Amino acid sequence: MAYKILVVDDESPVRELFNDLFKKEGYLVTTVATGEESLELVNKEDFDVVLMDIKLTGISGLEALKRIKELKPATVVIMITGFGYDEDLIAKSKEYGCAGYIGKNMPISQMLSSFKLFIKTAKEKVK
Amino acid sequence: MGLSLKKSIHSIVDRADSLIFYCDHTGRILMCNKGFEEIIGLPKNSIIDNNCLKVIYHQLLNSSGKEELFKAMIDDAVKYKRSSNFESTLTDGSGNERIICWGMSPILTKNKDLEGVFFLGNDVTLLKERESSFKNIDETLKNIFLSIKEYALYAINLDGNITYYGMGSEDMFGWQKKEIIFKHVNSLHAYDDVAYKLPFILEQVRKVGRYELETYFIKKDGQSFPVNLTVTKFMDAEGNMSGYIFMAKDVTEKRKLEYQIFQSEKLAAVGQLVAGIAHEINNPVFVISGRTEMMLSDKSLSSKARANLKIINTQIDQVRQLVDRFLAFTRKQSPNREELNINKIIKDVLPFLAYHKLPSHEIKITKLFAKGLPKVNGDVHQLQEVFINLLINAYQAMPHGGALNIKTSSLPNGCVQINISDTGCGIAPDALRNLFMPFFSTKKEGTGLGLSICYNIIKNHNGSINVESQTGKGTTFIIKLPFVKKGGKDGL
Repeated sequence: MAYKILVVDDESPVRELFNDLFKKEGYLVTTVATGEESLELVNKEDFDVVLMDIKLTGISGLEALKRIKELKPATVVIMITGFGYDEDLIAKSKEYGCAGYIGKNMPISQMLSSFKLFIKTAKEKVK
Repeated sequence: MGLSLKKSIHSIVDRADSLIFYCDHTGRILMCNKGFEEIIGLPKNSIIDNNCLKVIYHQLLNSSGKEELFKAMIDDAVKYKRSSNFESTLTDGSGNERIICWGMSPILTKNKDLEGVFFLGNDVTLLKERESSFKNIDETLKNIFLSIKEYALYAINLDGNITYYGMGSEDMFGWQKKEIIFKHVNSLHAYDDVAYKLPFILEQVRKVGRYELETYFIKKDGQSFPVNLTVTKFMDAEGNMSGYIFMAKDVTEKRKLEYQIFQSEKLAAVGQLVAGIAHEINNPVFVISGRTEMMLSDKSLSSKARANLKIINTQIDQVRQLVDRFLAFTRKQSPNREELNINKIIKDVLPFLAYHKLPSHEIKITKLFAKGLPKVNGDVHQLQEVFINLLINAYQAMPHGGALNIKTSSLPNGCVQINISDTGCGIAPDALRNLFMPFFSTKKEGTGLGLSICYNIIKNHNGSINVESQTGKGTTFIIKLPFVKKGGKDGL
């Protein structure tokens, strides 16, 4: 089954990378640059997974995560950040209901396998 | 002597404040003045012709041994016919204790035989009371000064020579009083800044009365320490300036605390900066490595392009690792806690030193591991990293060989202490101040992250890391980590 994925990142090269990468994996990909745009889209349509950058222009990724989980609790939200492994950010993300946490400091293949694992675990939990 | 002169003298003697009497060689009083009558509390007719000891000590009714001294002095005067001064106490007519300072002169005949003894006494009771209260104040002040260990008080005269060297000075400078007293104050400050600043300091004191400065003193043994120095004018009893008083306070502990606060604030600021930079680098690195990996998965790629892409990927990996190391010390990562045996951790890391490119010279390692050392709650990998870092530093500080001492002990305050000492080149005071700063390194090949990571790891373990170093003599790192209170002692 092809997952519908929304990528939220303020850097266009990052968005484009995920677009190409996920399409190659057979996912349906939409990308936006801000948390506000992501909320608008999630409000309009259902996504299986949202990949959310933590540092965004406008509302932060953490704030967007919180609101998406309030809006559509079934949406799997995975956080991604250039800050690497940070206990505080992980704790906050978990508190707001994210399914996983990925650092941009890991090789892309490793990132992809973590991403898939998070979705699998989250979907199993729902079942 | 004319009659009128005799009368005058009699009147002067009578009215004098002193106690005056004259007795013969047997001690029988022949004459006395009003002052004597008043203090003794007896009328003249009860005094004259009576034994002076009986009169003064009330017929020895309340004899308490006080008259013994008086008696001995009279005996002395009779026997050796010499003058003397002495103090004795008596009970006056109102029953009060009086301290009298007596001057006693034997009166001799032409043939040098003893005719009688003349006594002149002054009531010094009040004076003595004052003196003893001064003594008490003196004693109290002395005790106060002695109990404040971090202070030193010394004074110099106008020529700059040390005239007073007391109250903690010996402890502070390491010079004994006999070595330094009356020498020029610059001998005391031979190796520190005060000697250079002295003319300026003294000029300021002359102008405005006092001068305060923060400076470093250097002890006799070469150890330097920070002090707060206050110099004030020293005035003599007439109110003339006769020298300068120096009061120094050892502020080592205060500085240590300030330094630790400053250090953690500075580290926090640098940490934020580094995290920001790392974040900015991670984004493009992520995209570059993602793109190269995607291209590498293309099976139609030429072998040359593949080889080039692999090189790009390897290089990008190096950037990523570097950023990871930067992030390692900013990372707010709670240690993965378990009960650990510090002795074992150190024993385990020692063989790993062989894997590091360390100079191959003779280093004698002495391990003084405390038996039954309580266990520490901590992250084994992080603590291993700390000890490897410190041990490598110690090795590198001794390029011509030396001794490496590792000592563990448990402190009564609930901490395990680990001392890692080398006999190497030591660390200059300037470098010492920046030692735990990230990117600060005295080594060409150093990244300047090792000790800042150690600092952060120990801080995350609720412990402390301090360093003591003397250039040319060696360095000691002192780590304190709180131990697990109940049970959990190791068997080493």
